[in-house]
Formats: sequence, structure tokens, C-alpha cells
Amino acid sequence: MTLKVYGVLQATFTQRVLVVLKEKNVSYEFITVDWAGKTHKAPSYLLNHPFGQFPYIDDDGFILYESIAIMKYIALKYRDQGAPLLPDPGDLKATALMEQACSVEASNFNPFTTPIVIEKYGKPIRGVEPDEEVVKECVLGLDSKLDGYELILAKQRYLAGDSITIADLAHLPTGTIISRVGVTLLEDFTKRPNVTRWWREIYTRPSWQEVVASADAKI
Amino acid sequence: MVLKLFGSPQSKPTLRVAHILKEKQVPFEFIVIDSSAKEHKSPEYLKKQPFGQIPYTDDDGFILFETRAICKYVAAKWRDQGSPLLPDHNDLKATALFDQALSIEYSNFDPIVIEILMEKMYKAKFLGQEPDQAKLAASMEKLGGKLEGYEAILSKQKYLAGDNVTLADLFHLALGSMLAEVADIQLLSDKTKYPNVARWWADISSRSAWLEVQNGI
Repeated sequence: MTLKVYGVLQATFTQRVLVVLKEKNVSYEFITVDWAGKTHKAPSYLLNHPFGQFPYIDDDGFILYESIAIMKYIALKYRDQGAPLLPDPGDLKATALMEQACSVEASNFNPFTTPIVIEKYGKPIRGVEPDEEVVKECVLGLDSKLDGYELILAKQRYLAGDSITIADLAHLPTGTIISRVGVTLLEDFTKRPNVTRWWREIYTRPSWQEVVASADAKI
Repeated sequence: MVLKLFGSPQSKPTLRVAHILKEKQVPFEFIVIDSSAKEHKSPEYLKKQPFGQIPYTDDDGFILFETRAICKYVAAKWRDQGSPLLPDHNDLKATALFDQALSIEYSNFDPIVIEILMEKMYKAKFLGQEPDQAKLAASMEKLGGKLEGYEAILSKQKYLAGDNVTLADLFHLALGSMLAEVADIQLLSDKTKYPNVARWWADISSRSAWLEVQNGI
């Protein structure tokens, strides 16, 4: 049975799953969650996702949520097709460095980018005024964290080493939206040449461009 | 060479790593970083931890930071001793459910607890500010909502990834324990509201390795 993805094409965590599916050439059926109609808060939905969020997948009856867990599951299950996206699971140190990179995104990137996405992208869609103070704070915070990224990326091509992993891809959805709403930190070549190099490389991957095109087409 | 943990005795993330090292019966050397002297912001330190954060580990030259990544590495390297705390790595679905549980802690628990602790403790202690009651109320409501999700999961299985305790459960201890300790919030032990959460919380917070590091690393 074809893998089913329940989510929203324009939603950042859904897009993380889609980019990995495209990298691994895995066919899937996409089912749009009617977030405006609060489908994801209905008791029947909560049976599959107890926190009432999206995305989640149904892989022939196996239900999984949390985007990073889904990304890893697909990358492991389809190891032998598409880009590896993970180190050899038997390589303890390489695996640890990938986990470190995933955690870096969760600690030092997402806490700043997701609020910017909510304020400058999510709120306008719902006709709500953005809180510019929140945006300002998050931009300052992200700016400081990107110094750490610059140090890492000065020594290696990607966040976990010289091969791209799910940790790099995890940055794409929120990174893309913040760039679109005018936060240019990821492409400040003068200030951070390595972050800029890395960002442009991952952003221009065909898999990501496909995800962006689908998201834009449906609006 | 013995694994070195560079951290701070007051740092809850440092405590998380020390706890797992004890669970796995891994000997380690604890080197205190003087955060008041901003040691963790020096260029030398940034070579090891580029974000200037605490803690990091040095395992015979292999440097690692981000406590959850460190703990996963420790649990995998010393798989055959101490409490297992990991799923069978040959089982794709068990591994996925473990990763899901890890992510639940990181995205649905940690940020909200941090928000609450910020208002209830951090602001007063470090910034001399009053808590923002509206923000606090909103965060408490969010936490309540999340605990309903936890209750749903834990009513069907013993722990977050299945019927065996894993790192995903234990990662909740470092910050979760502060809710009761410093913020006088007893939601995790509320048997009436969340009986299975209370059962689970009592179980993990009474582990001897956890009690040991609470007395000092």
C-alpha cells in the first residue's frame, strides 16, 4: 500500500517530510488536513496523533508523527535509493554527529525561525497583525546562533560532516519562509560566507525546489 | 581514556548527561566550567562548542555537544551494560517509535516547560522581574493540553516509546523535575487529572541513577 502523508503543503513540518520523500524517490499519497476546519483536533484524528498536529504518516498501517522521526524512518527504510541522508547506522561517531546536528537545528535554529514564520507568514494568512517585537527578538537571537553555524561550516560542507543529512534538510522550510519575509541572515555572504554557501546548496536541491513549487501552486 | 564531561553542577542539561552516564555505568571525569567567568564564551571553548553552550563531552578526543545527542551516543556505545534505554537498532519500527518519543519530549514538553520556568523562576532570580501572569497562564494551559496527549499515549503503553523505558522518558527529568521543585507545579503527579502520566512520572523520577545525580555529580 502506498505511503500516506497527512499534512498541509505550505506547512513547514509537512515540507520536511516531503523533501525527504522526494530525495528518496518514494511514492506517496498526500492527504490535505483541513486545519481551518480544525480536523486535526477531532477525536478521530487524535487517535492517530494524540497531540493534534500535522504531519503524520500511515505506512501500510504503521502510524508515525514528529517530522524528524518520519524523516529518519524514511531515510532508514529506503537506504538503498536516492541520496543517503544518513551515515552508516553502524558508524557510532558519524551517527552521533548527525544527531548533534539535528539537535542543533532544534535548539539553535527552530526556536527563532518558527516564531518568525508564525508572525510574518501564519498570522497574515489569518488576518492577524504580526508582533514585530517578537520578530525583532528572534532575528537578533538567530543572528547570534548563526555565528556557531559559521564556525562549523567553515570546517565541513554540511552540519554533520561532508555529506548532506536530514539535519541540513530540516532547516529548509523555516529558512525559506524567513528569507521570503525579508530576514536575509542566511544569505549574508559578507558576514557569513560559509552559512551562505551551505544555505544556497541545500536550497537549490531539486527535491526542495519541487516542494516549494507544490506549496506555491496550491495557494 | 575516561570520558570527560565539561559542564556545570547547576546546569540541568549537564545533569541530564551525568544521569545517563550513571544509568549506563560509564565512569567519567567531571570538569567544571566556570560560567560566571564566561569561560564558555572564550575562543578556546568555542573551538569545542561553537555555540558557547554547556555541556560538552570529550570521549578520547571525540567531541560531542547537545545533551540528547551525547546521551544517545553513550547509550549506543555502551549498549551492553547498564539499563538498555534504546530500542533494538535492527527493528525499524521500534526505532521510529523511539525517535518519535524523543521528538515529543523536545517539541511538546521542553519548550513549554522552559516558558513556565522563565516566568516562575528565571525572571525573578536572574532579571529581578515580575512574572508575566498572562504568559504564564497561557503556557500552563498549553502544558495541560500536552499532558492530555501524554495521558492518551501512556494509557496504552507503559512508556513513551513502548513498554520499555528509554532515553525519551528519562530526558523529561532534567526540566520536568524543576516544575515541582522551583515552580510548585504538581501537574506531573496529578493522579486525578492524568493518572497514567502520574504513574509514569513516579516511575522515572524514582530511578536510583537519577536520585544519585540529584545529590551531586
